[in-house]
Amino acid sequence: MNPKHLLYALLPLAALLYGCDLNKDIDVALPAHEPVLIVEGYLVPGEPYRIAVHESSGYFDPPTAPLVPDAKAYITHNGRRIELEYKPKLDEQANFIYTHSASEVMEGKPGDVYSLEVSDDKGRRITGITTILPAVPIDTIEWRFDEDDEEALLLTSFYDDGSTSNYYRYMTNRDSLNNGTEQDIKTSDNLTNGTRVSFGSTYFYDPGDTVIVTLYNMEKQYYDFLVSTSNAKDANGNPFAQPSKIRSSVQGGMGIFTNLAFDRKVVIIK
Amino acid sequence: MRFFHLSLTCMLLFLSAHCFAQKAVVRGVVRGTTDGEILIGATVAVPALNLGTITNENGSYTLTLPAGEHEVHASYLGYASHTRQVRITDTEQQQRLNFSLEPTNTELREVQVETNTLRQKLNDTRMSVERLTAREAKLLPALFGEVDLVKVLQLKPGVQSGGEGTSGLYVRGGGPDQNLVLLDDAVIYNPSHLFGFFSVFNPDAVESVELYKGGFPAQYGGRLSSVMEVKLNDGNNQGVRANGGLGLIASRLTVDGPIIKDKLRFVVSGRRTYADIFTRQINRLSEGKEDYSPIPDYYFYDLNAKLTYKLGRNDELSLSGYYGRDFFGFNDDDFKFGFDWGNTMGTLRWRHKFNNSLYATSSVQTTRYQYSIKNEIDVFNLSLTSAVRDYTFKTDFDLFLKGGHSVKFGAMATHHHFTVGRLSFQASDSTLNLGAGTTYSGVEFGAYASDDYQVNARLSVNYGLRLSGFRSDTTYIAFEPRTAVKYNLNESTSVKASFASMKQYIHLVSNSGASLPTDVWYPSTAGVAPQRSQQVAAGFSKLFGRGRYLLTNEVYYKWMRNQLDFRDGANLFVNDSLQKEFLFGLGRSYGNEIYLEKIKGKTTGWVGYTLSWTYRKFDGSNDLDDINDGNWFPTRYDRRHDLSLVLLHQLNKRLSLTGSFVFSSGNPYSIPVARMAFQDVEGKGTSIVPIYEDRNSYRLSSYHRLDLSAVLKLRPKRGEADLTFSVYNAYNRRNPYFVYFDQVKDKERRDVVRFQAKQVSLFPIIPSVTYNFKF
Repeated sequence: MNPKHLLYALLPLAALLYGCDLNKDIDVALPAHEPVLIVEGYLVPGEPYRIAVHESSGYFDPPTAPLVPDAKAYITHNGRRIELEYKPKLDEQANFIYTHSASEVMEGKPGDVYSLEVSDDKGRRITGITTILPAVPIDTIEWRFDEDDEEALLLTSFYDDGSTSNYYRYMTNRDSLNNGTEQDIKTSDNLTNGTRVSFGSTYFYDPGDTVIVTLYNMEKQYYDFLVSTSNAKDANGNPFAQPSKIRSSVQGGMGIFTNLAFDRKVVIIK
Repeated sequence: MRFFHLSLTCMLLFLSAHCFAQKAVVRGVVRGTTDGEILIGATVAVPALNLGTITNENGSYTLTLPAGEHEVHASYLGYASHTRQVRITDTEQQQRLNFSLEPTNTELREVQVETNTLRQKLNDTRMSVERLTAREAKLLPALFGEVDLVKVLQLKPGVQSGGEGTSGLYVRGGGPDQNLVLLDDAVIYNPSHLFGFFSVFNPDAVESVELYKGGFPAQYGGRLSSVMEVKLNDGNNQGVRANGGLGLIASRLTVDGPIIKDKLRFVVSGRRTYADIFTRQINRLSEGKEDYSPIPDYYFYDLNAKLTYKLGRNDELSLSGYYGRDFFGFNDDDFKFGFDWGNTMGTLRWRHKFNNSLYATSSVQTTRYQYSIKNEIDVFNLSLTSAVRDYTFKTDFDLFLKGGHSVKFGAMATHHHFTVGRLSFQASDSTLNLGAGTTYSGVEFGAYASDDYQVNARLSVNYGLRLSGFRSDTTYIAFEPRTAVKYNLNESTSVKASFASMKQYIHLVSNSGASLPTDVWYPSTAGVAPQRSQQVAAGFSKLFGRGRYLLTNEVYYKWMRNQLDFRDGANLFVNDSLQKEFLFGLGRSYGNEIYLEKIKGKTTGWVGYTLSWTYRKFDGSNDLDDINDGNWFPTRYDRRHDLSLVLLHQLNKRLSLTGSFVFSSGNPYSIPVARMAFQDVEGKGTSIVPIYEDRNSYRLSSYHRLDLSAVLKLRPKRGEADLTFSVYNAYNRRNPYFVYFDQVKDKERRDVVRFQAKQVSLFPIIPSVTYNFKF
């Protein structure tokens, strides 16, 4: 809950309180931070092997993420070791800076296992493993207008496989993938195992909106990582939240190495 | 245990020594003359012998006096003192001496800080006890003018608030879940409104509050750190009267009086906030405006009622009830959201006097706390509920024996029923039907016996033993020894020591560090062992300045086992395997409390200073099961220095001025030490993820605040009335509420140029005025 909501309860005094400056800049002396290697790698069937490697920063260091040019990265599959070359490049469509890549395309099938190894001249070494998952198809996407026919809610449904533990990420974007998400829900199938699952929204889509709906079927390690990063972000600014350590899927550093198995559909609200 | 054995041996020695003394027991009841009401906590003393005691909850007292003639003096705040002669002969074993005290109408009673006299405190065997009446609390400055007894208790040494403006109690290093909060003997599980900013106790309905910080008497059990016993007003016996107040955010009204003269009396008290009336009006005026987000409704109310029926000379029945709710919600044609929470409590109590030596109080009680979140949109309904409900039977006996023994014994049993995270998500067109949630039951039981033994004029000992237990899918049984000793070095100085062992069988599931309505209670099970604490305390009390000042110093050490915390990122809302998120650890806290008070004269008040340390340690078998690598770390409410200064001054018959100043070291707080850029998948965008390492490794800046208040008595044509002016945070100090790290962005390019630490404060200077009336 947003702490500011608490103050709504004290209206009309809230107006008085907001009139005062209750926020102020302060200096905080943080302990020295020894940078750790960070890796972010998503394998996507049909796309080349690409990952991002950089370092963590002290909180008040300059905002650019420090790159690690001497880092060597390898992905191994079925005993074959593929070297990813250090060649930083911005993928403008995905808005993602890759630092290491190979020209070879990943063609893994569900159940295939890939491992990652990253090391640098300082002796730091990160390892991680991912198992390719199948995408879970979106069954239906429907929308319902409110009583005034002004705004619509969106309802996306799919079937959960009752024989496996599944972790989902449901995202919607309006008009373009570059405009930020409208909804980003991470959940497990603990309460919905083997059932038809629906994700809904409130009434906030307008007629004519193009909505891009993406459903990821995630590994547990990816789900844990996303939840922990989300909790950590929430703790910075929410006095009631418990600070959370990041649960990385890799060893020896921080970050995520996983694969993206998703179904994506585009609908126009009308 | 060694300490307990030693204490027990000492007690046996005292018992045997006593057999040789020539003494008689004097006992009686102290009442008020107007309606014959018993006066609890009245002082009965023989000043010449430096001997004294206080009346118990039946208004009774017992004194053991040597042969000879004595002057026995009875006093009670707001009543004229009364002295009676008693003659004890060598052959006499018992004497009865009752007192009827005349009420006084002096202004003094309005400005007294304590109902207890300082000498009574000096001579009391109990230590680590704070007592407060609603009348005193009403004189002190209050946030938004809302008088809050719990916030006044926070001004006492050893007691801290959870944060700015909150009414949570953190007693000697214990958490808010470790306080046993009793309202007319029944447990109140969540004693706060408005996310902890106000306590549920309406000051008009409450007579007094007692807070035990240590040295717990054997009749109390079930929590580790404190016992807060709130007594509801019984109502008066003279005629129907009403009193109330109009405040900035809430109004209250209390009506009390006799239904059948001298037989049946009642009190009904209600309180409600009215911010929602304004917010609804604002919403109505802004309806149709583009981009206007309506303000959600919020209000709370509570209702207290009590009936007291005198069945005869020896029997009295009372029925007390509490019902309170907070509501936070939103109601729109398309979207409905409701979040309500609150306590419901009922107690039926029977007091019976078998004879002058034996009294019994038996009660049946029920209490329930629940929260419920409901969300409705289109055909979909979501509801989430958690609750705890108790049925309790308890009986307590007071037995006065020859030789200065006041024995208490009794037993209780509580059936707990817990509903944890019951979720229902349904669609009215039957396309969706989801459910989750678990229920648990448990029976908690206890039996105890204790003896408050006045060995001689200087020495008194209270020793007792409580047997407690809990049965759910397994059974836990424990012995909880308790003891307290007081010795008067001279007429003005006493030394005291105590030991108490406590068990707690039910646990609050909360990782917020605050008292939130969504916190749920969870029983001890085979996998969740009861919490345990043991506390030793020692201190002295010194009366000086011709009896006007009392200086008390207490040092304490408390160690705790099976303290509860939660894994990082634990899901505590809807989780059928909640137990897997628990971590168990150790706790310790220690400190020194100094308290200087003055209760007589035109200027009264107190100064309290606490120096304390509070730590926890969670050393699990793997990284996920420990906190801070298994090292001791300070809790969020560890404050090294805590100072409070309260002054009340009666300027003239119509005007009283009060002020309170608090200073405390900054709270430990968790801040990130580093950050990483997280680019995420296509469609999401890059974000900054804070990297947290050790919990509570940073200290917020120190907290200090001055509050001022003035009570002006009006001269209405009928009844009494006053205006209370309060200024909270008089010098407008920006106290830290929390700290976060912000991204500073370039205004044009919108990219991050640097990071900045920000401190957020909650309340600036807040003036308020309250109108109170009585007729």
